[in-house]
Amino acid sequence: MFTCKDSIHSLLEYVDGELSEEDVQKLREHLHGCTPCVDFLNTYRATPKLARRALVDQMPDEMADKLKAFLRSKCQAK
Amino acid sequence: MNDAALEDRALLERAQEGDIDAFEQLVERHRDRVYGLALRMTRSEADAAEIVQDTFLSAYQNLKSFRGEAAFGSWVHRIAANQALMRLRHQRVVEAATEELRGPEFTERGSLAEYPEVDWSRRADERVLDEELGRAIRQATDRLPEGYREVFLLKDVEGLSYEEIAEMMELSVPAVKSRLHRARLALREEIDAFYKEV
Repeated sequence: MFTCKDSIHSLLEYVDGELSEEDVQKLREHLHGCTPCVDFLNTYRATPKLARRALVDQMPDEMADKLKAFLRSKCQAK
Repeated sequence: MNDAALEDRALLERAQEGDIDAFEQLVERHRDRVYGLALRMTRSEADAAEIVQDTFLSAYQNLKSFRGEAAFGSWVHRIAANQALMRLRHQRVVEAATEELRGPEFTERGSLAEYPEVDWSRRADERVLDEELGRAIRQATDRLPEGYREVFLLKDVEGLSYEEIAEMMELSVPAVKSRLHRARLALREEIDAFYKEV
């Protein structure tokens, strides 16, 4: 029997489109009768999207000034 | 090619002809994302600052040999990722990595022990990202064990291929996929816990 555990183990390959046809069929059948796994799949897919949005950093101004000065000194010395 | 990439290409051509001002503009356009990658990989502002310096210096020194098959941004990101990985290899301490990773729990019959209470996936497309959620995700990413954090950042944030990551990290492609899956599961748990608390 294809369980929630099997379904979650196969999510990466499923999302990548690399799961075998047979396993896709088993997963779809499981998802059809398992709302928690549908929610799990949706949130698994959303995780990288949210992370990309959250992991936006801005270089502090002081650091940016130092970088500029560093590169100027190196570029001009070349 | 989008407008930003076209502008990069024009600046790159000028920089390759020795125009330092054009190179500085390229640095300005890409420094934040390179800094972000270095900071998230090393979890150290000081290391990230040095990686950004070394990355752009290396880019400048190799400008002439860069043929422009890839975008300038992708090129400097790969330099920065390699610099960060080298640094991490030198600093690496043996971590009980896998024990620290959270993931879903199952019953003896293989069913999910805890169900997601809300399907928060649509929040990923909302215009403004909740500030507290953003902070929680950054902290959760920082807590991912070494080896897992880098794979997640390089694949899901930077968009490198499995093969590129495997080569950079001296891992097999299946090992990269396994780490990515476990990192995603751990982060998903953290985001789920955030929504359960609010």
